[in-house]
Amino acid sequence: MKIKSKFPWIYIGIITVLTYVPIVLTVVYSFNESKITSVWEGFSLKWYEQLFQDSDLAEALRNSLILAFCSCLMAVLIGTTGALGMRSRKTKTSDVIAYLSLLPLMIPEIILGMVYMAAFSFLQLPFGMLTLVIAHTTFCVPYVFTTVRARLAGMDKSVEEAARDLGASDFRVFWDITLPAIMPAILSGVLLSFAMSFDDVVISIFVTGPTVNTLPIKIYTRMKTGVTPEINALATVLLAVTTGIILLSSLVGRRNKNK
Amino acid sequence: MPNKKKTKKEAAAQKKSNALLLPLYLFTIIFVFAPLVYMIILSFLQKAEIWGVKNVFTLENYRRILEPLYLGTFTESLKLAFLSTAAIILIGYPYGYFMARMSERWKKRMMMLLMIPFWTSALIRLNGWIIVFRSNGVLDKLLMGLHLTDKPLKLLYSYEAVLVGMIYALLPFMILSVYSSAEKMDWSLVEAARDLGAGRVKAFVSVTLKMTLPGLLSGVILTFIPSMGLFFIADLLGGNKVVLVGNVIQEQLTKGRNLPFAAALSVVLMVLTSLIIAFYRRVAHTKELEGMFV
Amino acid sequence: MKNRKWIQKMLTLALAGTMLAGCGSTDNAANAEGEANKLEGTEFNLFTWDGMFPQEVLDGFEEKTGVKINYSNFDYDEDMLAKLEETKGGDYDFVIADDYILEMIKEENLYQALDTSKIKNWGNINPLYQGQFYDPEDEFTVPYGAGIPLIVYDPALVDIEIKGYGDLWDPSLEDNVALIANYRVIDGITLKTMGESFNTNDLDVIKAAGEKLKELAPNVRVINDNNTQDFLITGEVGAAFLYTSQVYEALSARDDLEVVYPEEGLGFGIMAGFIPSDAPNADAAYAFIDYLLEPEISAKCFEYIGYYCTTKAAEDYISEEMKPFLVVPDTVTEGESIQNISDEAEQLHSEIWNEFKNACD
Repeated sequence: MKIKSKFPWIYIGIITVLTYVPIVLTVVYSFNESKITSVWEGFSLKWYEQLFQDSDLAEALRNSLILAFCSCLMAVLIGTTGALGMRSRKTKTSDVIAYLSLLPLMIPEIILGMVYMAAFSFLQLPFGMLTLVIAHTTFCVPYVFTTVRARLAGMDKSVEEAARDLGASDFRVFWDITLPAIMPAILSGVLLSFAMSFDDVVISIFVTGPTVNTLPIKIYTRMKTGVTPEINALATVLLAVTTGIILLSSLVGRRNKNK
Repeated sequence: MPNKKKTKKEAAAQKKSNALLLPLYLFTIIFVFAPLVYMIILSFLQKAEIWGVKNVFTLENYRRILEPLYLGTFTESLKLAFLSTAAIILIGYPYGYFMARMSERWKKRMMMLLMIPFWTSALIRLNGWIIVFRSNGVLDKLLMGLHLTDKPLKLLYSYEAVLVGMIYALLPFMILSVYSSAEKMDWSLVEAARDLGAGRVKAFVSVTLKMTLPGLLSGVILTFIPSMGLFFIADLLGGNKVVLVGNVIQEQLTKGRNLPFAAALSVVLMVLTSLIIAFYRRVAHTKELEGMFV
Repeated sequence: MKNRKWIQKMLTLALAGTMLAGCGSTDNAANAEGEANKLEGTEFNLFTWDGMFPQEVLDGFEEKTGVKINYSNFDYDEDMLAKLEETKGGDYDFVIADDYILEMIKEENLYQALDTSKIKNWGNINPLYQGQFYDPEDEFTVPYGAGIPLIVYDPALVDIEIKGYGDLWDPSLEDNVALIANYRVIDGITLKTMGESFNTNDLDVIKAAGEKLKELAPNVRVINDNNTQDFLITGEVGAAFLYTSQVYEALSARDDLEVVYPEEGLGFGIMAGFIPSDAPNADAAYAFIDYLLEPEISAKCFEYIGYYCTTKAAEDYISEEMKPFLVVPDTVTEGESIQNISDEAEQLHSEIWNEFKNACD
């Protein structure tokens, strides 16, 4: 069924444009001469110059990428195996665990940060990348777990059973049938987890150690002291890079399809 | 355990699923359940002089929540959460619904367009709104240029500005939930209903709405819960004048150095949100949050 | 854990050894040289707000000593306190924070006493800023910037002449005032308008201040701790109550703004640095303190952060344009500091503050 009237297009168009207003302004104001973010004083590239000389931000960016990558990886391992395990079994315990694993999304971040700080210090874990990865994994797991679980629930078991009856090993069934089927779910879980991890300030500020700064922490503390145009420049660069990656991957995808 | 005799195959499957479940169980118990218990225990203890807690049992923290000031904050937060969720449904539902009816190619494109803002820091996006709303800002200039007003409006630092910020930050969750639910829908049912003489409205209510309800409800949960705690939106766009539960918790943890009271506030907040989720399960007849971004 | 303690012991022994060696040495220059060499390749964990040092100052220290600086930030003083409590005074080598929290650091024993003989520039500190309430014997802190929060207003947007805190209540200022978000300070100036002390423990007086504060609500446009001066500079508000560095930013952006030294009496705040009790690299902290107290370096720092210069010897190196902002008369310390008060009073302050905020919107 295709959309016939024009109204939906206009509606979606207007809302989408509105969601891009602040982003476009961030980009525009990254070229602003003035130090005050909200006053336009003329075109300038000086914030970009400053940005590319800022080794602190570069290091923070690297840390954030490592952190987001590690916590997504952990979340995929834990979330996917958990969802697969619960598929063949529904007990009271598994229900409770499924509910508990969602809790990090429901507790205010700041209290979570404080509680993790106390817990890690109780467990004698050194504050730094390790504690950051654990804390971020806790709020990444629900995204992967729920998406994969929902996809598995909607999946037809008969194909897998048929393959098994035809003598395929468990591993082959998983690799050739189950995994491709849940791959989109894993990917969307990862995309979201990555974005969440890459954006987290509050929890990170509590569980990080003396040697690890993440990008959002830097952005947040800088915004507090007011060097924002440089941050706008950074946002613009990150935006350009992510948009570039997305466009490239869709181009590659299309070419592969055409072959 | 079912009383049935287990076959060998079932026993093996059980073993396998046990192994698969182990990481999730361990991780959840150590890093979610244990800290949670710790938080609940904290909420029953007394604040220490300077920092930390005294190991003395007390109900004082919960009693304090019943004071008009804090009760007021809870109702205020609930009110804002209801308002923003209602607005998000009105805006997000049609969006997700229309999106699900697009061609495959456009679905992909829209998905991309929705995800890109997600990848920009939330703080930076909020700062973008400040540029729009501030006195003599983009919107003021626009309105004055169109001669709709002759002096700068004071749009920023108001309840309305916070509402806009909330809607903006949480809208994608609703859109994606509704979309994933509507996408799985069997459209021929709607046509069948229309063929059988149901009007547009009736077809929508009896078929479409019913089938997208799980997505809609999970969207509600994903927007309602965070909107109670997003304190930085209230800070930045409300000029600190709108006080939400999240703000009070934050203030108690920092300036107040009152870990137990902050913990008690969090426990109450968590119980509230759990009740909402339980209600969702009852209404949607499902255990999983439908749709999250599948 | 056992392992860590063992390492700590070894480190203490090694430290004691070098200290003895240091005492034995009479050649100060050679000693300093030796210190620098010993630090080469170590890491130094600096913990304070963002933007407390110009980049060149940090780079200069790294170059001079070969020490790698890890500059990490906290958001609130209390976050810092929590972190030090959890690490039992470890992980960080040098922390700079606000005066009142230093008093708690002292009570919680999270500091180590300074060996001033290791700081050859110790004498450069302006004694005016020493002997403060949190550290009367100058046992563990080095002052780093002081200030007085002040009212700044834009005569073009304000119809009255503002002379004191009390004028902020004037009905003509409706929806036209920006305030910093520190409740002890804002509750405090309300107390001042009533002729009371910032630090009163009298609950009835604080309650009365709460009632008075609510009357300010209609005038308040925004409450914000960060870049509060921007609201004034951009014309979002006509009057603002600002921190010292913000006063400086506002005046340097627009010279048509007026500063008010409120007639009811001034507040006074100071920031200072200390070495946590279990600092992994205290030697680097000493070297850093010494470096910060060098007159030229100090001058650069204060020009950058915009707080009153606490290093006497640096005053001559501060540029003429900035001197009036950074070098202030000795009467500055006569202002009242915000100090720690009883738990009940503190809690009441937070409650009247939240009621005030509720009344604002």
